[in-house]
Amino acid sequence: MQRWIRWILAGACGLLVYALIWPRSATSDAEREARKQGRTVIVYWDRHSGHEHEARRALIHEFNTSQDKVYVRALPIGYNSLMEKLLTSIAGSAPPDVCAIDGGIMAQLVAQGCFATLESFMAGCPSLREERFFPHIWKTVAFDGHVWGIPTTTDTYCLLWNKRAFRKAGLDPDRPPRTLAELEEYAARLTIKDESGIRQIGFLPWQPWDLSHMWGLLFGGTWYDESTGLAVCAGDPNLIRMFAWQRSFAIDPTSDTHPPFALDPEKVMSFQQGFGAYMSANNPFYSGKIAMITEGEWQVTFIPKYAPDLDWGVAAIPTPDGASPRAYGPTCIADCIPAGCRHPEAAWAYLEWFNSPRPDGRPSPASDYNYAIHNIPVRTDEARQARFIGDPRFRPFVDVLFERETVSAPVTPVTQFFMDEIERQRERVIYRKTSPEQALREIQNTVNDHLQLGRALAARTTP
Amino acid sequence: MRNGLLFASPFLFGFGAFFLYPLVASVYYSFCHYNVIQPPMWIGLENFRELFTRDAVFWKSLYNTLYYTVFSVPLGLAVSIGLALLLNQKVRGMAAYRTVFFLPTIVPMVASAVLWLWVLNPESGLLNETLRQFLRVDGPGWLADEHWAKPSLILMSLWATGGAMVIFLAGLADVPASLYEVAAIDGAGRWAKFRNITLPMLTPTILFNLVMGLIGAFQYFTQVYVMTGGKGGPVDSTMFYALYLYRNSFHYLRMGYASAMAWMLFLLILAATVAVLVSSRRWVYYHGD
Amino acid sequence: MTKRTRRNLAHVPLLAASLLFIAPFLWMLSTSLKHESGIFAKPGEPPQWIPVTERTDDQGRRLITYQARAGVDLGPDESGRHALSIDGKTVVAWPEDFEIQQRIGLHWANYVRAFEMIDFVANLRNTLFICVSVVLASVLSCSLVAYSFSRIPWKGRDAIFIIVLATMMLPYQVTLIPLFAAYSRLGWVGTFKPLILPALFGTPFYIFLIRQFFKGVPEDLSAAARIDGCSEFGIYWRIVMPLSKPVLATTALFVFLFEWGDFLNPLIYLQDERQYTLAIALQQFQSQHENAWGPLMAMSSVITAPIIALFFFTQKTFIQGITLTGLKG
Repeated sequence: MQRWIRWILAGACGLLVYALIWPRSATSDAEREARKQGRTVIVYWDRHSGHEHEARRALIHEFNTSQDKVYVRALPIGYNSLMEKLLTSIAGSAPPDVCAIDGGIMAQLVAQGCFATLESFMAGCPSLREERFFPHIWKTVAFDGHVWGIPTTTDTYCLLWNKRAFRKAGLDPDRPPRTLAELEEYAARLTIKDESGIRQIGFLPWQPWDLSHMWGLLFGGTWYDESTGLAVCAGDPNLIRMFAWQRSFAIDPTSDTHPPFALDPEKVMSFQQGFGAYMSANNPFYSGKIAMITEGEWQVTFIPKYAPDLDWGVAAIPTPDGASPRAYGPTCIADCIPAGCRHPEAAWAYLEWFNSPRPDGRPSPASDYNYAIHNIPVRTDEARQARFIGDPRFRPFVDVLFERETVSAPVTPVTQFFMDEIERQRERVIYRKTSPEQALREIQNTVNDHLQLGRALAARTTP
Repeated sequence: MRNGLLFASPFLFGFGAFFLYPLVASVYYSFCHYNVIQPPMWIGLENFRELFTRDAVFWKSLYNTLYYTVFSVPLGLAVSIGLALLLNQKVRGMAAYRTVFFLPTIVPMVASAVLWLWVLNPESGLLNETLRQFLRVDGPGWLADEHWAKPSLILMSLWATGGAMVIFLAGLADVPASLYEVAAIDGAGRWAKFRNITLPMLTPTILFNLVMGLIGAFQYFTQVYVMTGGKGGPVDSTMFYALYLYRNSFHYLRMGYASAMAWMLFLLILAATVAVLVSSRRWVYYHGD
Repeated sequence: MTKRTRRNLAHVPLLAASLLFIAPFLWMLSTSLKHESGIFAKPGEPPQWIPVTERTDDQGRRLITYQARAGVDLGPDESGRHALSIDGKTVVAWPEDFEIQQRIGLHWANYVRAFEMIDFVANLRNTLFICVSVVLASVLSCSLVAYSFSRIPWKGRDAIFIIVLATMMLPYQVTLIPLFAAYSRLGWVGTFKPLILPALFGTPFYIFLIRQFFKGVPEDLSAAARIDGCSEFGIYWRIVMPLSKPVLATTALFVFLFEWGDFLNPLIYLQDERQYTLAIALQQFQSQHENAWGPLMAMSSVITAPIIALFFFTQKTFIQGITLTGLKG
């Protein structure tokens, strides 16, 4: 008898606990209300999480309250597992209505028929006309005769220098290096070593991360030939020079002579911002451990936040003599409508709203978004808005995109592999496992192998 | 027989309903060009041919993974048995000690990763500072050194063996106290007791942790992804099999190629596991038999 | 050496090892109470374990020490040198030449921020719902299956057991997509079903674990019960299960721990932020280039604390071997 009572009590407690933790309805009140009004509900997957998603969510809320036809539900996915989520959902035919992805992987996914084409929608929308975008960005979303996505934000790199370190080394703090020779000279004067190790790094081409693709282009090299759609880096003298130049920053253990700015590549790793420390007072540029660095425009907001005492300047990246000056806009982030999306019209209504100036004359939500997340707008007129170029440190980032020929990542179905392979081979060059010539040959061979495999597949599947 | 199938039916049903299809599908993909979105295209043994003849990174990743497995699994077993023995004493505050020893398994990876990066920092890390102060030697570059990157990761893995440790603790609790009493009467020392009672009685748990350790080590992925950013550097020394497979599947969309890799790994793990299980008949002692 | 001293000596290795294992936890706690500026060690310096804050005077100016004398920082000039007021006199110095005075200061605001940044109650409820359901389902299904593989002899058993193990040997990357497609066809995507229902079919890891322990339960007990007319299920439920509490508790703990921290599966199958679990919600503290380390560690501490408490209070269960009941041998 008593045992039964115990069982019943335990069961009741269990049920109570279960009732407490039973999840509430997955649908928010606002969404339920929207459905009741007969609005179309679409789902937006954000590549960003954190404060960047907050900025996007605020704008989506504005959209939801500004009209009564479409309701957008935003879902922060983050970039860690976006590919897993996106690929499973498309393959399992449960895609979102709009998804934000990196421009660099766009061509890779387009080749698989992942996205709907947008040009028919664009016809009636003046703010989405091709000529309003930076040309190098438009190229990453419009190819093979179609438009596959609407870019929303972009980045570029400039040279940042620590004026205090310049003063201490007897350099003019307001005159950054303008040529590659000057960059090397300054790097030599700003590199300080003593018996306890490296005190200060003058400059390192692979800080804050590998930028070999950019350096190759700035050196005047050609990685990829658009007309043949193949990698052509092998034997390119400018690219060989670029790899050799990067290698000169790493001490050769078998040789006694090396440039004064060369350092032991293993020792340098300790300056590489450790996991997560990139945006912290510990960032080696913030704490004065690196005197010059190539960095993106986001630093304009982050440095005052994390290193308010740092005295620093921004200038275009020096390029070698003889090479026509180039700027680097690696890629963009774009909003796409996956193929198989159930409400393409509603999805477009949101995209059009996001990219057009507000009816009351205020700038477009896209421009507000870029301002909130400290990136560069993708439309030239928006990038020229006072809130962007009014900041003397943000301005050089925008200016280089206008003043120089801007180059970016190649639009290929294997771009991700291409970039990874360049980075991998750069490391092998630095650690002297291979020569620049051999590295470039291997990049070209493996990348072209992959490109041709993809083509063979496409040729066989499309009759 | 009927009862046996009945009791196993949850697994048999789940396997048939949900796992068999992905399993068969991935076998099929391994003989195809398959990029997830478009229908797979049969290419026969082409993926395997590329793996074996043209892909240097594949061989490197296989070597790295074998290296990691050969060292981390036996060392991991020794460390977790040692810790379990330490925690199996009758000492005050044991509950707290057990909790503390288990912490590395509970604390989120991000927190421990930050700390390990500091410990392993070649210039100013705890490890190299200690080596300099006490042994007057310059420590290696650890994660920055292609020869020391894998040992660094093995060291990290030894530190987070809380799961195996708890299982060994449960195994130790199963050793009948009467056996020790008999041994004490015979005048057996500590080592003799460990060698002749504890270790044989632990063999079922050792078998479990050995097999699970093997399966886990061959698919080693998460820690290296967090610690090195998943790029496999320096110079491919931390490009592990599962990491390379991951890059092929979800970064390069070469799902067919990744499936071929997955099945090679599967066969390798299966061979290792079957070898262990077959040999286990000779060294595992089940008290209930 | 008395028994007492020997027992006390046992603390030495335990304490030494504890230092090694408690470090990440202490770092997490201390970071959760730090102001942003102090979270990471400067290159070349060890991390700070005790959260500190700058000392200021009543006008909010920083107190400093310069050449062993105390003073006040009046701020930098154009060159980056700071004017310092020491004993009524003003001196100019580079920032690295003077020290800013610090005091212990706990930055509790991180916790406030952390709770503001995510919908904690909803995330917790979702997580607990998944965890509790999966634990219940797993303990039941895994012990049933393990019973078959350890205590009932049947033809083909060992071969099928290899298949059980084999399901763990295929990397998840290649089965993720077909599995998703299968759940999608059932209409399970966007619900908790793909996260919970598979637990009913047993998880190989725990089937194997429980099998190892079931094998240790003396066969005579089953035989005796069988003579008394007990059904196979009766033996499982009344004899083997009660004797295997340690391993069942271990299984429950491991399953709970895994589900508590699982990131990929919930992210892939859930389609509304209101369904998100705590592990996914932690992403809200991470942006492209920037982590909100203080709030992130604050929330991590909040999430880790119940697990630590759970382990602390239940660890005895793993240790209560069946040996104590005197039934064995």
